[in-house]
Amino acid sequence: MQTNNELIKIFHGPQHPGITGNMSVELDLLGETIKGARTHVGYLHRGFEKLIERRTIIQAFTIVCRICVPEPDPNEENFARAVENLADIEISQRAKYIRVMVLEMARLGALFLWMGGQSGSIGLGTIGQWSVHDRDLILDLFEELTGGRVYHMYIYPGGVRRELPNGFLDRLSQLLDYLESRLPLYDNVFFDNSSFKKRAIGIGVVDANEALKNGYVGQVLRGCGIKRDVRKDNPYLVYDQLDFEIPTFEGGDVYARAMVRRGEIRESIKILRQVIKQMPEDGLIMQKIPKHRKFKLKKDDTFVATESARGEFAYYMAGDGTEKIRRMQVKGPSLIHGFTLLEKLLIDEELSNVAMIMNSLGICPPEMER
Amino acid sequence: MIESLKQQYNIEQKESRLFKLIIKKEEFLKTLSFISSSSNFITLSQIACADWIEDEIFKLNYILTTKERDKNLMIELEIPREESKLPTLLNFFPQAEVMERDLHEMYGIEFIGNPTLYDFALENWKEIPPMRREFDTLAYVNEHFDFRKGREDNRDVKVEIKRRRAEAKRLKNANK
Repeated sequence: MQTNNELIKIFHGPQHPGITGNMSVELDLLGETIKGARTHVGYLHRGFEKLIERRTIIQAFTIVCRICVPEPDPNEENFARAVENLADIEISQRAKYIRVMVLEMARLGALFLWMGGQSGSIGLGTIGQWSVHDRDLILDLFEELTGGRVYHMYIYPGGVRRELPNGFLDRLSQLLDYLESRLPLYDNVFFDNSSFKKRAIGIGVVDANEALKNGYVGQVLRGCGIKRDVRKDNPYLVYDQLDFEIPTFEGGDVYARAMVRRGEIRESIKILRQVIKQMPEDGLIMQKIPKHRKFKLKKDDTFVATESARGEFAYYMAGDGTEKIRRMQVKGPSLIHGFTLLEKLLIDEELSNVAMIMNSLGICPPEMER
Repeated sequence: MIESLKQQYNIEQKESRLFKLIIKKEEFLKTLSFISSSSNFITLSQIACADWIEDEIFKLNYILTTKERDKNLMIELEIPREESKLPTLLNFFPQAEVMERDLHEMYGIEFIGNPTLYDFALENWKEIPPMRREFDTLAYVNEHFDFRKGREDNRDVKVEIKRRRAEAKRLKNANK
């Protein structure tokens, strides 16, 4: 900050309706224009990675989902897959399909919630009420399947924890019909809304030439027209057996990232319809796994990644031959987007655009401070 | 591309799309510089650190990803816990800045050349870096925080289980 009193310093967050969680951005302002930005986290530091070092597999499993509130399931999937790699467990085809179903339902829920956040950041409050209601219908199904609405604790090393309730796939199919019927309404009030376009086009522009090298992921990449998605590039579960597209958009701005998400909602619905159709009727949902204290990981390490609704979620995991995890290191999309990218994008932007840019990047503090 | 790297380095294939290269600390900059500039592993996805306190080392894994994002290469090296220093990778990967800041705070690793090794998630931390194995979270909590009021009846679970088992046994014996 300069010392000639030209700049004013303010903290955008952690107590601010336009901040995406418990974090703050320290801004140096010249009038309304941002001249410097620095991200601060630590308001939500719960020490997941440290806690996990003291825990056995089932004990660690109960806190893994809490790393990301809007979309906990990619964490469960990463955790389960990393443990399976280190314990040489192969899961059944049916369990893989159920996991894809859960992950895509979670993606839809997260995208609807994002729509509420993004529209709220520019004052379009009604859209949030609609989209959060529609997300609640997805949560109803989650509750029926797992017993939990937000944290599911369902994807466990070896498969999934419960069989699908009777008629669940039919109810999911009906919900997809309903959600699909809502999409033109969202187009009218949000994606094609001229107030949103006027605010979002040309704001928070990411340089496509730097995007890949700098480690940006998810909609930030795809909003620059770069077709990258872990589900296609490095497929896991049964994504290589499903037919879906990776939506992209040109421009690299807030609007492009929103339009990518618009496409992703449609693709998720398409994936879920295929899952319902192709779901194997037979197959163990859970492999025979060792009991609590006998569940040991070999002395080795692994790296797994899952495409979450906000981009690649990756875990490094090391075992040491005991029943406890030697090290689990989380890398969510927000680590790079919330620091390196956000601090860069905010320079020379207006103060009123901070919330909109943060929402478009999908920044979530718990995965930064783990 | 991985095939040409295999000719030069001893790369192990861990899974179909996951590879591992173990290097010595002295070869660190040379190897990272070569691989990031002459192969398609252009992105640094993660710097993972594990504390192997029994061997007095940290194992660091620099996880690189291809331009196509279809393969990952883990470059592993060991550094001594007590003299934990490494050159920064800022010149090759801008995202290393925040990853190194994180590891500096959590493990106390010095990344020479990184100018932003200030507070990450903690504020004015004066204790042992918290992710080091010798840092005892429970002892720290007991020393620095009070339990919330209203939980005075909170009992140690293990003691309570033992007590209940003994009680059940006693009742069983009494009924015989």
